[in-house]
Amino acid sequence: MKELKIALIGQPNVGKSCLLNALVGPRVQISNYPGTTVEVTKAKKVFNRTKVVFEDTPGIYSISDRSEEEKVTKRVLFEEKVDKVVVVADTTSLERSLYLVLQILESGIPVVIALNFVEDAEKKGIKIDCEKLKKILHVPAVFINPLTKKGMDNLTDELLKDEKGRKTFTPRYDDHIEKAIEKISKEIKETQLPKRFVALRVLEDDMDFYGYVKDEKIFETVKEGLHEHPKVSEDISITRYGTAAFIAEKVTQITRLGREKRLQYKIDNVLLHETWGPVLTILSFSTLFGVLLFIGSLVQEALLGFTESILSPFLGNGSVVGVIVSQALYGVMAGISIALPYVFLFYLLLGLMEDVGILPRFVVNLERFLKRLNLPGKSLIPLILGLGCTVPAVRATRVLSHKKKRFCTASFLTFVPCSSRIAIIMGVVGYYGGMLLSLLVFATLLVSALIWAFMMKKLVRPETTPLILELPPYRKPSVKNIAIKSWIRMKDFVYIVIPLLAIGGAVYAVLDITGVTNIIVTPLSPLAWWLGLPPLTIIPIVFGFLQKDLTGAMLLSVLGTEIGSVLSPLQMYTFGVATTIQIPCIIALGALIKEFGFKKAILLTCTSVIYGLSFAGLVWRAFSFF
Amino acid sequence: MIKESDILKIVKEDILRVLGEERYKKTSLERIKPKVKVSGQVLRKAIEALEKKGLILLQGKFISLTKRGQPSAKNIVKKHLVLENYFKKTRSERQAHKAAHILEHYVSGEAMNNIKKLSTLKEKDVPLVEIESRKEALITNISFRGSKLFERIISMGIFPGERIKITNKIANGVVVKVKNKKFALEKNIARGIRVLEHERA
Repeated sequence: MKELKIALIGQPNVGKSCLLNALVGPRVQISNYPGTTVEVTKAKKVFNRTKVVFEDTPGIYSISDRSEEEKVTKRVLFEEKVDKVVVVADTTSLERSLYLVLQILESGIPVVIALNFVEDAEKKGIKIDCEKLKKILHVPAVFINPLTKKGMDNLTDELLKDEKGRKTFTPRYDDHIEKAIEKISKEIKETQLPKRFVALRVLEDDMDFYGYVKDEKIFETVKEGLHEHPKVSEDISITRYGTAAFIAEKVTQITRLGREKRLQYKIDNVLLHETWGPVLTILSFSTLFGVLLFIGSLVQEALLGFTESILSPFLGNGSVVGVIVSQALYGVMAGISIALPYVFLFYLLLGLMEDVGILPRFVVNLERFLKRLNLPGKSLIPLILGLGCTVPAVRATRVLSHKKKRFCTASFLTFVPCSSRIAIIMGVVGYYGGMLLSLLVFATLLVSALIWAFMMKKLVRPETTPLILELPPYRKPSVKNIAIKSWIRMKDFVYIVIPLLAIGGAVYAVLDITGVTNIIVTPLSPLAWWLGLPPLTIIPIVFGFLQKDLTGAMLLSVLGTEIGSVLSPLQMYTFGVATTIQIPCIIALGALIKEFGFKKAILLTCTSVIYGLSFAGLVWRAFSFF
Repeated sequence: MIKESDILKIVKEDILRVLGEERYKKTSLERIKPKVKVSGQVLRKAIEALEKKGLILLQGKFISLTKRGQPSAKNIVKKHLVLENYFKKTRSERQAHKAAHILEHYVSGEAMNNIKKLSTLKEKDVPLVEIESRKEALITNISFRGSKLFERIISMGIFPGERIKITNKIANGVVVKVKNKKFALEKNIARGIRVLEHERA
């Protein structure tokens, strides 16, 4: 069977993921937030005996090497060698999409233009002459609407056509620049890519392409010919955009001037207000958090009874196997009833905010506070995701372009309680010690995070990444979209975390039966002394390193259900702090290793554990004075 | 990779420009060739096409503009001068030259008109942060000191000659609207974008 590799590219939020869903069925996240897809999503489908592998790439405005998104997309385009590219274009502002189209055309990869948001454009009085566009660029173009599946057949028809050797339009630059391109082209090593394209990339200071140049001396000779272009890369961009704008104007007909809808304008006037904006943002997040905790605890109670009634027949018949199985089931139960409601609810609410388009406004409002913490505005996304589960949050740090910033942001996930940690704070500290005590733990997390931020500021030299963020229009949320997205986000939790809970429970049972727990507890008893806790609590703390949901479950099985009589409120508080200021579990550690490498991940994990335990001990000491 | 018709369009316009710059005098092919910088074959094709349209007259090795060709040539020369002036104004004298050279074939009509207005105006442009909210302005120049932000900004559609409007002022910068799209830009970025208030322009 013939196989085709097709990449979908386009600006952020232009509907690439939505198009992929329409082409192959739902499996990708879609949101009204720029930069949700930070990795490439692949999906296969067979059309007319041709197997097509689609690759959905992160949104970009141009191919340069400034951000992670651009790097990822470039890797797909030029290293993995795609057969064709679908540029998803925004009909409401065609020239921006054409800029990208022109850049791809220069690379010689066949392009199909998919014109999205046609209805939106029509409402704004913008009409595009598709035939004319095709004629000028000499590239196939189709109107699409992935939501109604309009134009999907036309698009697939175009995708399956063999376009090799089609001569398309490409921009022409100023004669000095053209001469420089020619000169560099002669010094380019043999490659699959057109030499003119490589030469252009080199001229545009794209480091990734320097490797193709045979002899670096060429830069000197070329520079001599470019006296009049001290900023040649800027002149190239200007010409390319000028060309894109020219073509866009030729094919666009504006029947009436579009005006911003009054409602949109009013909402933004409030949400982006200098003082009300940040206040509303913080209020929204507090409400979100409050709703989460409230509904979460209700659902938790209901589920706890339910799972217990289902699992009780299997529990404890005294035999060795019985103990192991019952402990494993106990772990699963903890996962389903404690963490699941929080995770699912959280992602549902987050999905709603994303879909409506409110999240970028929140980023803008909180940017100045995050900047104080030496974090870029965009770091809000991974930090919020961290309230659900740390694993996807670590992955989401990819929305940041600088490695250093990404690592800094990831380090703050130590203090952002994920649902499993919230479950400890609410389910253990709050349940047995009262609401106020659990709030005190949250406050302690915040204070410890601020101290951490202060230390990081001293350690890591702050680099400023300027805020440039597109604010999409508000849209009506789609329930289906939110549900799909929430499920995709919590899939990891269900398939990885819950099995791990079962394994953890079983391992604990084995260790307990064989008496190994004592061997663990004895050498670590100074730790218990430092934290002012009974020695046995070391077991849940140690197992918590593997998986935080084990902590609560194990505390119960170690101390019995009468925790209130065994631990004083202060001890519960210390226990809460000691177990939550951490990289929460071994899976999160895995995610960190994948993103930042073994050394950095271990460094961060160890530092965070030491920091958390020292902090908890110090606070305990401070409080026990009173 | 460039389509032939595309090259032909540029060459044709270049020929008309050269003839226009020569003040419509009879001009020899020898003189035109180095200025247009294409192969003889393409040049011949372009000349043929122009002759067919009745814009020029070919007499042996000399070409001259016909009556019909004169306005077209004048237009192109003007366009070129406007762009050249524009670049002289917004970039330094030393840089000013024919970035216009290619742009003249492509820049959109509206942006062109705006640029023309800009280059005849003596008023000084101001950084974007200094204009009032909700007032439309024209982008005159974009420059950032030693940074790689230029292409990012340009490719988002924030381009000299385009209209821009501050919709909201936020703590760290501004929210602007360009071509139906909204962007939040930090103060430092907004300082690198120079504009002229539209009413005066």
